[in-house]
Amino acid sequence: MAMTGNNSGVRNFKIVLLGEGCVGKTSLVLRYVDDKFNNNHISTVQAAFLNKKLNIDGKRVNLAIWDTAGQEQFHALGPIYYRSSNGAILVYDITDQDSFQKVKSWVKELRKMLGADICLIIAGNKIDLEKDRNVTLEDAEEYACKVGAIHCQTSAKQNIGVEDMFMSLTTKMLDISDEKENQKSSPLSRQNSQRRNVIVVDDEITPPSKSCCGS
Amino acid sequence: MPVLTLQRSYKYIMYATKQPSLRINQDDLKCTNGCGYFGNADWGGYCSKCYRNHMEQERQKRTRSTSSSSAHHHHHHSSKSQVTSFGKFEEKKRQQTDKKNKYLPVFRKTSSAKGECPKEDYINHLNVILLDSERSERQFDVRHANPDTDKLNVEFIAQFGKYGEAVRHDFFKCAQYFTTKIVHEMNLKLIDELAEMAQKCYVSYMTRINGNPHYQQVPEGVREDLLDFFEKYCMISLYTFLFCPNTTNDEEKDLTIQDRIRKLSWVNAHHLDCCISETSLEVRDLVYTAINDLLGMDSMKAPQEKLACVVKCCRSVVEVLQHCQGGPVSADEFLPALIFVVLKANPARLKSNILYVTRFCNDTRLMQGEAGYYFTNLCCAVSFIENLTAESLSMPEQEFQAYMSGEMTSVSAWESALVACEGMHQLCEHLALLKGLSERTALVQEESNALRENMKKLKEDINSQVNEILDRTPLVIKQRTMPVFLLRPQPKPKIDPNESQPKNFYLKNLQFDVSHTQKSKLQLDITPCTQDVQSDNLKISKDFLSPSKDNLSLAATPEENSYLGLSKINYDIDFSDISADNSVAEELTPEKRSNFTPDPFSPLEGSSCHITQSPLVPTTAHQIPKKDDFVLPFKQEGTKQNEETLLDKEESTSAAALPSPLKPTTSQYTGFSTQGWQIPSIPCDTGESASKNKQ
Repeated sequence: MAMTGNNSGVRNFKIVLLGEGCVGKTSLVLRYVDDKFNNNHISTVQAAFLNKKLNIDGKRVNLAIWDTAGQEQFHALGPIYYRSSNGAILVYDITDQDSFQKVKSWVKELRKMLGADICLIIAGNKIDLEKDRNVTLEDAEEYACKVGAIHCQTSAKQNIGVEDMFMSLTTKMLDISDEKENQKSSPLSRQNSQRRNVIVVDDEITPPSKSCCGS
Repeated sequence: MPVLTLQRSYKYIMYATKQPSLRINQDDLKCTNGCGYFGNADWGGYCSKCYRNHMEQERQKRTRSTSSSSAHHHHHHSSKSQVTSFGKFEEKKRQQTDKKNKYLPVFRKTSSAKGECPKEDYINHLNVILLDSERSERQFDVRHANPDTDKLNVEFIAQFGKYGEAVRHDFFKCAQYFTTKIVHEMNLKLIDELAEMAQKCYVSYMTRINGNPHYQQVPEGVREDLLDFFEKYCMISLYTFLFCPNTTNDEEKDLTIQDRIRKLSWVNAHHLDCCISETSLEVRDLVYTAINDLLGMDSMKAPQEKLACVVKCCRSVVEVLQHCQGGPVSADEFLPALIFVVLKANPARLKSNILYVTRFCNDTRLMQGEAGYYFTNLCCAVSFIENLTAESLSMPEQEFQAYMSGEMTSVSAWESALVACEGMHQLCEHLALLKGLSERTALVQEESNALRENMKKLKEDINSQVNEILDRTPLVIKQRTMPVFLLRPQPKPKIDPNESQPKNFYLKNLQFDVSHTQKSKLQLDITPCTQDVQSDNLKISKDFLSPSKDNLSLAATPEENSYLGLSKINYDIDFSDISADNSVAEELTPEKRSNFTPDPFSPLEGSSCHITQSPLVPTTAHQIPKKDDFVLPFKQEGTKQNEETLLDKEESTSAAALPSPLKPTTSQYTGFSTQGWQIPSIPCDTGESASKNKQ
């Protein structure tokens, strides 16, 4: 709530990048923010936290893109990163089936913890290595559709689909944020009902957290 | 507010020592109440619901004990009654073993309804409370407890004073209300409820800034600053109450994590797959910087100041990584490095600090922005350290245990760097210091050399200048022109006494000489006389063109002339130069007629005669009465006089278009008639000056 809107008219969105190590999370965000691929560019000091300012249809948007450590041993720290995010980009490497499985586990976890509030993007990166593809496009799209996520194919190296991916995510986040704004401004009775809804969501989250931990 | 509650619940997740981790035995995670839900170490092993019940009970007990001791505000009574009713309800609930508690939603709703207080009401409430008589007392307490308050007041005025008295007044009113309220409810409420209060207070104050006419003058950008300052002010005022409060087990957690980190001291960068090269000196320095920044967090009071320390530390870490690998630092590399730094730093009261910031830092800042990101990473690092297992370091369980129990000691480069190379580090620092010193010494040396050179050069310059001037205006001692002498026999009687007493004459001249060189007024004395003389001489020279030959012939043979009036002493002195002098004089005769006839020193009057004589007189004359020695000092004296007086005289002479004024020709001239000795002194420069004048 505090994230999506404030008095100055700029909407702040927090996007978290999740995915196995070496799938190209950092490259994607660097390509998007700085339009750079080569890691040898020294101009960007760090790619862990980057800001991107956008203006979409006159709405000023500020994207805060949080990179996360992809190593397996840091998986458990995920909740700390993605709490109160508006969007998540789940990156997998199309040449690596394991990384896609990892995406699936992230989706499960995110849906359980944050419900429908978070916009999900599933991005198949490295499509420049099409010949080594191990994850079929159909599988990926089918899965994305099933969990209500947008599927994108990108190549950070060749700058394919990166801009589009962030744009569609931003648009979706704007929609959700607008929806919330509308609900807020609607009459009190509806506001209450909305609140009740949120509580229900909260309640719904709790039981699965059991199974989540157990799984 | 429900969403806020939601966020808070994630905050709890943040500190759950049992993350959604997949490695810990399931039974360990269950609520100790046996309700079947998963518990949390932070909540004493209870699940969230049982923990709440438990805490409600605790609070009820506290409320009971305090309610009898002191009178409270009406609003406390109301909340208390609420609490009591809840307590009963919860007690009943607790007895149920049923997992699905159908009353739970009700409880939640009420709790959220209780927590949510419409902003207008809240502010009205705020104003009502402000009038409370107890306020001043509390206010005094708060102020008394905090020496920082005055500093903050000054800071506020410096930063926001320009927006008017109303802003200031309102700011302090709100801040005072908030701090008072928190202090008041310190012992009644749980820390998390206080945190929620604080968050609500930030929100309501922001609303107030945006809505209240007092703040109309404050520009948009500054409003955020004002809110930040509000937070800072309140939190510094309340620091002693809210940091690591004794109602919580924060301190235990601090000790636990400290102990944990100590036990993990053997972990090095290699274990964490982190590319920090421990052996590089520069990297080590940067890591030291990062560690220092992190340690600095504990000494700050306001949450945002603590956050600033974290950001500084993280930036240093980024720098370290850049140094080690180059290129933009991604989270994959950053987090392990940060963990490493936290492990090596083992900051004091780490957990308390993190919890304090989490609770009381404005949520909007904590959720976004660079500070938020880095703080999140710090939380991750701490969480990772708490849950660190053999697997997360990808080493065999046995090895891990061996390390943890101290059976195995690490041979970490970092350890050796820390222990053995601490001296090395110091040595390096000292070497650097010495280097700096030697550089400075070299600089001093260089500059002193330069100064010496300068002095030398200056000396040379002066010498050459002096020489130049000497060359340009040499001591020209002109032969007196005969006509003047012939025409003016007046000086004769004056010099007569000198003639009869030569020694006295020298002394007399000496005195003159000294006085004139010192004053350098000689010129002034001379000029009027020279001008007069000039005109006279011109006439004379013209009139007596023909007789001048006679004069010259006389001059050419000074010996003969000198015999006329000179004592023997004088004659001997001049002897050496006579021939040269004569030859020059002969050569110059035509020029002398045309150019030099206007003789400035012609002794037209008795007084001027004395003056003009002076330059020629050897100052040392009386000291060296011997004949042989006399010649040399005489010359020297003459040149010396030149040096001293010529600079002044040069202009006037040129202006008067006269030959060098020092020429004592006239005096010699007069002397010639009476004292033949003076003629021989002429030769020193005559030839030169003559040629120069030609040019």
